[in-house]
Amino acid sequence: MFKILNLSNIFFWIEKLIGFINSIFFILVLVALSFALIFSPPDYLQGDSVRIMYVHVPSAWIGLASFSGIAILSIANFIFKIQNIKLITKSIAPIGLMFTCLALVTGSIWGQPTWGTWWAWDARITSMLILAFFYIGFISTQKLISDENKANKISSIIAIVGFINIPIIKYSVDWWNTLHQPASIKLTGESSIHSSMLMPLLLMFFVLILYCALIFLMKYKTEIIRIKKKNIKRL
Amino acid sequence: MIQNFLSMNGYGLFVWGAFAITFIACGLLYYKTYKTLKKHERDFAKEINELSSDRKKVVIENSKIASQVLSSFSKTI
Repeated sequence: MFKILNLSNIFFWIEKLIGFINSIFFILVLVALSFALIFSPPDYLQGDSVRIMYVHVPSAWIGLASFSGIAILSIANFIFKIQNIKLITKSIAPIGLMFTCLALVTGSIWGQPTWGTWWAWDARITSMLILAFFYIGFISTQKLISDENKANKISSIIAIVGFINIPIIKYSVDWWNTLHQPASIKLTGESSIHSSMLMPLLLMFFVLILYCALIFLMKYKTEIIRIKKKNIKRL
Repeated sequence: MIQNFLSMNGYGLFVWGAFAITFIACGLLYYKTYKTLKKHERDFAKEINELSSDRKKVVIENSKIASQVLSSFSKTI
């Protein structure tokens, strides 16, 4: 079982996975974009501006999921002190930051035709902006602090503290009066989005998840090489 | 029809803008990540190649990663 977790084996599987994702990625992007921009219907109220949802919502989901993953792994790192966890969180963080920023930017672009403003200090948007700051804090501590152990400790604390923000983002639309609409897709209970829009949304989400996996694997591979390079004298 | 598709009933600038920003950002992150990975692979392979032949043999025998990086690097050059 633990043989699978060996860095050499992981490295071997990373190569295979990168090759596989690269081989199917562009076809899936074309299919997802066709559904998002051509086949899905315009909204009865928002018209074609609703298509921004196909990049905005998956970006926000990925931003939230990445930070939750980093926080949970940071807690695990405090308990088990596994070096692999550090590599994983370090590889996830830039992806999460980019998608959080994309959720903010595309949300702002969607806000102009829908609400008549690019920005509002609304609970959902502000808490999302705070999440971006937590990402920046997490990444910059790892880049700026030269003592690796200290950097990991501080970045783990940032991730765990920032984790408090995740339920705030999720429930901000229920707890406060906000411009942002409540969730249309629910894991428990009936979703209020029509299947003709849900399908392209899930397709775009899947494509962006594949993209994240590709970037994560490349970053993880880079981190493994960096460690091996550092330890070359011990080999 | 193409005109309609491009204008998105007046929302073209917003819709195309949002998609363009997303794809440009994704492209840039991919490019940066790929370049960093290749740079590390190249540096690692270079470091192995600079070792004495006996030492190089030991490193390749003891590290699957070193041998994989070396072989993939030699394929690209």
